[in-house]
Amino acid sequence: MVKNLPVVPTAKAGSLVETPTGITWRIQYPEILANCNICLECTLFCPDGAIVQQEGKLVLTLKLCKGCGICANECEENAIQMIPEYSGVKGVFR
Amino acid sequence: MAISIADLSKEELFGQGHAGCGGCGAAVAGRQAMKALGSRTIITIPASCMATLGGSNLKTTWQIPFYHTLFEMAPAVSSGIRAALEAQGIEDVNVVSWAGDAGTADIGFQSLTGAAERNEHMIHVCYDNEMYMNTGGQTGSQTPMYAITSNMSKGKAVKKKNMLAIMQAHEIDYVASASIAYPLDLIAKFKKAAEKPGFSYIHILAPCHRGWQIPAEKTIEYARLAVESGLFELYEVDEGVRNRTFEPTFIPVADYLTTQGRFKHLTSEQVVKLQKSINVYYGRGGDEE
Amino acid sequence: MSTTLLTGSEAAAYGARLARIEVLAYYPITPAFPAMERVSKFIDDGELNTRFVRVESDHSALAAALGASLAGSRTFTVTNSQGLLYMTEVVYHTAGLRQPVVMAVANRALSAPHSRFPEQGDAISQGASGWIQLFCENNQEVLDNMLQAFKIAETIRLPVMVNYEGYIQSHTLEEVEIPDEEKIDQFLPLNRVRTLDVEHPQGVNTVASPEFYMDYKFRQNEAMEQALTVINNVASDYAKEFGRDWSGLIEAYQMDDAEHVIVAMGSMVSDARIVVDELRKAGRKVGLVKVRAWRPFPVEALREALKNVQLITVCDKNIVYGLGGALGTEVKSALYGQSIRLNSYILGLGGRDVTTEEIKKVLELSEKTEQQAITSEWFGL
Repeated sequence: MVKNLPVVPTAKAGSLVETPTGITWRIQYPEILANCNICLECTLFCPDGAIVQQEGKLVLTLKLCKGCGICANECEENAIQMIPEYSGVKGVFR
Repeated sequence: MAISIADLSKEELFGQGHAGCGGCGAAVAGRQAMKALGSRTIITIPASCMATLGGSNLKTTWQIPFYHTLFEMAPAVSSGIRAALEAQGIEDVNVVSWAGDAGTADIGFQSLTGAAERNEHMIHVCYDNEMYMNTGGQTGSQTPMYAITSNMSKGKAVKKKNMLAIMQAHEIDYVASASIAYPLDLIAKFKKAAEKPGFSYIHILAPCHRGWQIPAEKTIEYARLAVESGLFELYEVDEGVRNRTFEPTFIPVADYLTTQGRFKHLTSEQVVKLQKSINVYYGRGGDEE
Repeated sequence: MSTTLLTGSEAAAYGARLARIEVLAYYPITPAFPAMERVSKFIDDGELNTRFVRVESDHSALAAALGASLAGSRTFTVTNSQGLLYMTEVVYHTAGLRQPVVMAVANRALSAPHSRFPEQGDAISQGASGWIQLFCENNQEVLDNMLQAFKIAETIRLPVMVNYEGYIQSHTLEEVEIPDEEKIDQFLPLNRVRTLDVEHPQGVNTVASPEFYMDYKFRQNEAMEQALTVINNVASDYAKEFGRDWSGLIEAYQMDDAEHVIVAMGSMVSDARIVVDELRKAGRKVGLVKVRAWRPFPVEALREALKNVQLITVCDKNIVYGLGGALGTEVKSALYGQSIRLNSYILGLGGRDVTTEEIKKVLELSEKTEQQAITSEWFGL
């Protein structure tokens, strides 16, 4: 069966947001600690838009995060900690 | 007027769910730029990581019109898009071509210089990771001297072509360098460029941790070290007036270079020579040593 | 409606003007350039509201035209020979993106050795590109085909090349009837499709995996097959409206009882028509099949037109090295399974003159050739 495709090869805007790439690559994830002073810098350094600002707060969407660790590396307050995804022999995928 | 992060647009127009590597510097550049450009933007991206990570098959991360063009033609395509918008009376749309260092300085240079000479109402962005990363990291004209790449295991023997100077020579409306480690500086430059009636060129240093052989989490850090060492100057040429937009603290250039895998073979003589040339450039008395 | 003397280039320019193109993108090349100069003059004189993108290369010319088309504007470009080959990458790409760009091609021979003279080799080289290709017999047809090209392109969402030969057509004055603007506006309303649109954003040309690529290509080819019908319909609609019938994919001329038939395309058709008339007067049962649509190739139409003939002589102004003339090869392939004598000739390469005398000699030679040629014979060396 030939697929029913758009005439011009196109993709629906923003459609990857719902089915993000790379979540299975992640071996560590960030956790925002209580000493975060909401400077918001990490929102501009995250390559994946996983940490964004909403109403003056930081919102972390883990399903968008590839676990690169830039946010933790850049945070001047040391308020982001990277935590390994796997613990023990079976591991846990969040 | 200083911009604050809190005041930036909350719209996420690019990057969420993208198919690039974790810690991708190009994606950071795209996210920062879109904070300035906004949703009324049409972007063309030639063959590159940035085009590939934008989506595949029926899915894309872009929330604005995005067109993955052939390698050497994004500025020409954008010229045509602008002509069509004008013909249809559509205003207030930013037309942007966004290419890597190959699509800008090498295979894409002909269409870029053409569009710049015509002073097309558009912005061309070079996201520069200093090698051809989408094909596995080969040497190009934007690869710095000595850097090891996948096709030059002994390092590049000649210098990096100065694209900013070349674009400045076109006497276009606006030329600027930017680094993903200085997002507010980058965003301010995009906002300026978007206001120009003619051609703007923005050259962003966007490290690729795979090509540079650095840890993924240090992508931003190296973009900062390049600037702080003075090796990559942040400046703009706004309608002919040149202005440095950030004064570096002049950390030793060795701090930037020798910890990168691609430069690990540098001799101390080569590092000293590079440090001297930086000193001379900034008038810091490098000649005497 | 008015009649005036126009070169082929001017006829193409008038076609673009009547089509009210919104964007022209172009890089000068000989002999195509006068068409663009004429359109630029229309723009400068305020007779045409068109944006001219003065690009720095042929590659960028089609790239800019493509960009404008994706943004929803009716667009046009002109080129030939080296320019067409230089933009080849974008030629294929434009077809894959299903954009209704129209391109006039003033056919010229390809280097090396360097030549500035007429030949169809440039268009033939693009035969696998996914563009519809129409060949014009005279300057009137150049103008009429330009208008039909936009109609076909926007109906089926495929790009169209309008081929006319350099100098023989591009620089030669002929009487051309220019249709009324109002009637053209009715015939050719702009069917605007914005693929790149800030109001309805989407990602264009995202990477296709093996799971998708082949399906897209199937659909693209399906559109090409549909073009076989669309080209005929548009030609007959045009004939009804403007009184000139270019008869769609092919034209069968003096074919009712024809025994020996010439098959040709482009400027040689007008010479062949004269030869057929002369030989008919002398009582010879000769006919002519003009191939107007080179892509999609009209296999069924040709099989039908040629089914009762005894000898076919194909004239090609091109050479596919190691194979022969492209039209001869395609006609042979179209007639697979039918045992009709067919001889194929290559003539007129790089501007070598082809007059009615040459065509007559080719016909005589063909009649004397009992053994069907495996590849094409060269004539006029």
